[in-house]
Amino acid sequence: MVAVNYLLFESAVGFAMFEVVHQADSVGLQLPEVKEAMTTLDKFGKMVKLVSFNPWTSAAHGLEAINLISEGIMPDLLKNTLELNLPQTSGKKSKVVLGVVDKRLAGEISATFPGVQCESADTSEVVAALLRGIRVHAGKLLKGLQEGDINRAQLGLGHAYSRAKVKFSVHKNDNHIIQGIATLDALDKGINQGAMRVREWYGWHFPELIRIVSDNGTYAKLVIAIGNKKSLTDESVDDIANLLNQDQDKAEAVIQAAKVSMGQDISEGDLRMVKDLATNVSQMADYRRILAESLDKKMGDVAPNLQVILGTPVAARLISHAGSLTNLAKYPASTLQILGAEKALFRALKTKGATPKYGLLYQSTFIGRAGPKVKGRISRYLANKCSIASRIDNFSENPTRRFGEVMRDQIEQRLEWYAKGTKPMKNSDAMDKAIKAVLDDDEHNLDIDTEMVDHMAPSKEEKKDKKDKKEKKDKKEKEGKKEKKEKKRKDVGADDGDVEMVDVSEEPKKKKKRKSAAAE
Amino acid sequence: MGFERGGRGGGRGGNFRGGDRGGGRGGGRGGARGGAGFGGRGGAGGGRGGGRGAPRGGARGRGAGGRGGRGGAAGGAKGGKKVIVEPHRHKGVFVARGGKEDLLATINTVPGESVYGEKRISVESDKKSEDGVATKTEYRIWNPFRSKLAAGILGGLETIYMKPGSKVLYLGAASGTSVSHVADIVGPTGSVYAVEFSHRSGRDLINMATRRTNVIPIVEDARKPMAYRMLVPMVDVIFADVAQPDQARIVGINAKLFLKQGGGLLISIKASCIDSTAPPEQVFASEVQKLREDKFTPKEQLTLEPYERDHAMVSCVYLQKEYQE
Repeated sequence: MVAVNYLLFESAVGFAMFEVVHQADSVGLQLPEVKEAMTTLDKFGKMVKLVSFNPWTSAAHGLEAINLISEGIMPDLLKNTLELNLPQTSGKKSKVVLGVVDKRLAGEISATFPGVQCESADTSEVVAALLRGIRVHAGKLLKGLQEGDINRAQLGLGHAYSRAKVKFSVHKNDNHIIQGIATLDALDKGINQGAMRVREWYGWHFPELIRIVSDNGTYAKLVIAIGNKKSLTDESVDDIANLLNQDQDKAEAVIQAAKVSMGQDISEGDLRMVKDLATNVSQMADYRRILAESLDKKMGDVAPNLQVILGTPVAARLISHAGSLTNLAKYPASTLQILGAEKALFRALKTKGATPKYGLLYQSTFIGRAGPKVKGRISRYLANKCSIASRIDNFSENPTRRFGEVMRDQIEQRLEWYAKGTKPMKNSDAMDKAIKAVLDDDEHNLDIDTEMVDHMAPSKEEKKDKKDKKEKKDKKEKEGKKEKKEKKRKDVGADDGDVEMVDVSEEPKKKKKRKSAAAE
Repeated sequence: MGFERGGRGGGRGGNFRGGDRGGGRGGGRGGARGGAGFGGRGGAGGGRGGGRGAPRGGARGRGAGGRGGRGGAAGGAKGGKKVIVEPHRHKGVFVARGGKEDLLATINTVPGESVYGEKRISVESDKKSEDGVATKTEYRIWNPFRSKLAAGILGGLETIYMKPGSKVLYLGAASGTSVSHVADIVGPTGSVYAVEFSHRSGRDLINMATRRTNVIPIVEDARKPMAYRMLVPMVDVIFADVAQPDQARIVGINAKLFLKQGGGLLISIKASCIDSTAPPEQVFASEVQKLREDKFTPKEQLTLEPYERDHAMVSCVYLQKEYQE
């Protein structure tokens, strides 16, 4: 049991240091008298003494401080406060014990000040209790504050902090993908409905046109061009053919049909309405095309490997369903496999029936091509590959689609294996191939190359190596390691089933990496 | 029906309450509620009790676009009828009587504005201000189908711990609809620390909080109370509606930092969020056990039927046996 000498309290107004005058003891903490002493100000006021209290000089200071504190990093302001107020000791003979609530911050403080030993709320009950006491009486203990000052500071800081959080969201690109795919779905529905309306409506005037032109977009364009069918003459055949990919026969057919049409006449006003609707539909169709292209491009930047395996729409839907690419990457492959079939899954869990084989993945072409007996197996294999792809996409710094391409080939081979018995490529060979392709792609980047070559042959000695390297904070290296990890996982889980187990255990590490990368 | 409608229109001008309320009470809003608040919980409709269900079901059945809302939550609050607002057993909460059904309400701290399209009632109080002008108080109707706290109050919670002047830590604030009512209850002397992780909902929460200065919005993960420790003081009550499998743990770590000794906890437990295969009662029992291990003393547990399915509201006191004011 170490005696706590000082306490650090972070308030919305500023950092405060307290000296512990009267030591509490952890055994007696639960006694009613001690509890009571903690809650009454005059008794608690005798246990701690305010040593220093530095309010922020500006709101910006406060925001900077809370942003760092929330990440467990020591702000400079806090460093100065500690330097000024803690007794200077070398830490060889005796150490000053400082109570800090956050263990991450505690670690950083003791690393910076050799003479300070930090106790956090997790390691010492006394620290936790004393800091709770300070929080109760903060308004009275912090000298020089007006009534309501703390409250105002909390309000201002809370708004500033929350606004900043919303503003600098890490899922910037993902949001556009999610909105894009949702808009695409809505547009599809809208275009379809609008086109049906145009057909029905214009069909009263020129029913034969539907037979000749079945495509919605072309039909709408033709409606705009033709207008009143009586205006069609033999001369207009070229204009019509222009809209029909220069198909002269079809254009002739349209003009012939117009001459003998059994459709009713249409008034100028009605025709204008039909034409306006057709214009809208055709514009929507054009926008849909542009949107689809831009989504394609966006996915190519954000999740190239996933896109290669699944195609843009399915890949984008997966991201949309998970909420972000990061969330998707955190899911185990088993979750990814049934993403979108939650209803069926929970029904099955409740009734102890068979769980669904696939959710959104069903839309992938691979499932459609698999035989009925192996649909579930292919779905599982596909989910494993997608899971790996989403992780590579999410955690790699330089996007490449090579891994996706190789994994797509593997799925093809697996399909073939089920159908004909052709032996598929080994996972390790596949990854070697992918890494080789990546190397060929950026030959100019020597940094990556050496790393990758190192990892070409994973062995047990390498594992040690990896640990040594951990200290280095080179981004490139991180990426290399990641790729190695992917590879390792594949070696371990030579068959699909085991992969998830490995995944889960590796999650926390990866998450941290992403964070530190973001902080840099 | 038609007669009643006409009567309302005519009566409003002369009615002493109707004047400033009629304008904003459009059908659009009512319709929206019928759709979003209600239709979204299709399942709840079936299990609802008769008295409450009837008028709403009626509104839906009528399907009159412009009138849909009237039969809804504020069925009794329409202009033609006299509504009396009485204080509820819980301080800061009120009951609007006089309609087809009694409704919960809170004093609107931002008069003239609704947060999420809820109805407002304004009442002239008996007390006149010094210059002889009657003071008006505006109340906002509190829909138990949208707020679990309201459902808990209607379900008969013994105490909600919060009252005017309380400090409340609200975990799982979402868009701030319930938070706005809690802010009304605690009033200008109290504070609500509203924690919400989702950025999308957080945006709405911040917007709501700009109008109510007793709400401190915190867009952060409730699993990391350390990240927002600078923003939250010792609080009197924690209200938790996080619907996460580890919600008992989340509440525990937050209480450890921020809940005063003898402070209250209200936690809404959604059974299917914790374990979708186990029977709800078993889930509730295990959650209460987890709370006990975190030094909470459970006081009462009630189901939120008919407003929510398989939900329980549990009320606890922290670190000691009885709640301390």
